Amino acid sequence: MLGFVEEIVLLLLDDGQEQIAELPVSAAHIVIAGAALMELALRNRIDTDVRTLVVVNRTPTGDDILDDALAHLDELGGELNIPPALYGIAVRSEGYRQKALKRLVERRVLRDQDGRFLWVSPTRQYPIIDDREQQEVRARLRQILLTDEIPDPRDVVLLCLVEASHLLAHVLSPDELKQTEDRIGQLSRLDLIGQAVHRAVADIRSTVKHATSQIG
Amino acid sequence: MLTTKRPNEREPMMEFAQEQAGEVLVVRLAGRLDSSAAPGAEQTFAGVLGGGTPHLAIDLTQLEYISSAGLRVLLIVAKKVQQAQGKVALCGLTPNVREIFAISGFDAIFSIQPDAAAAIAAVR
Repeated sequence: MLGFVEEIVLLLLDDGQEQIAELPVSAAHIVIAGAALMELALRNRIDTDVRTLVVVNRTPTGDDILDDALAHLDELGGELNIPPALYGIAVRSEGYRQKALKRLVERRVLRDQDGRFLWVSPTRQYPIIDDREQQEVRARLRQILLTDEIPDPRDVVLLCLVEASHLLAHVLSPDELKQTEDRIGQLSRLDLIGQAVHRAVADIRSTVKHATSQIG
Repeated sequence: MLTTKRPNEREPMMEFAQEQAGEVLVVRLAGRLDSSAAPGAEQTFAGVLGGGTPHLAIDLTQLEYISSAGLRVLLIVAKKVQQAQGKVALCGLTPNVREIFAISGFDAIFSIQPDAAAAIAAVR
């Protein structure tokens, strides 16, 4: 099973290309940071309520992405509001994305087209050679959105990440999206970090849209 | 009764008590349901939901605080009850707990009743 960071990095790949689909890069970094934080929460390293995010267990997870995020949260103070934690981790997201891509290549989910994945290059490509993970995520999300099934906490995180990334159109048809609008809104609120990710991404998209309209 | 102590001794303990009211199991949580108490609470709930079709009333009158980790425990309980085609209701939410339920949308997942009698009636 992939971790949430690998999962969302995989889902954000645009048809196997290196660029991030449909999202401003800074918004994608927020989503990746949210994925790391939500994984840390499910591994009982951090806890949140409506006001604070607290590091509750400093024991390393053994995952270098998560352990870097955990250490960085400690540097940020160990107890802070969710948005500053999210933005604080997002500055490290590009590094997490590169590590996640490398792991996905090692697991033979992606292919490194030209063998240059260790170097930053905007033209690199990562064709998907095994799309089972994507299909499983899609099937899981369809199951919880199109039925009354109560999601488990991992389903909630996946939904939050996919919804915040504006990728639900790849999961549901336009009619299904309209039909499940309320349920998507309800279920994606169930994770407080997920809520913060949604708001941060919406703010970034709004800023980018405004800036683009000013230029146009 | 299961008791889980936080690492921070100044914090109150989480207490878990249960009693049978006919076919309904009434579980009373007290103290703080947070990351330190959540694993024990999850394990205890898994034990009480072990067999049959659960009819569960969870009384939160004495629950002072619940974090995201605690909410996840309740979500897992709700999912297991649904899978077993049972019923679950909550009651006695304090203002603190009610606030996090409202913000996180958990109030739409659960039947929330004013008191234990109403919760028992809701899951019969």
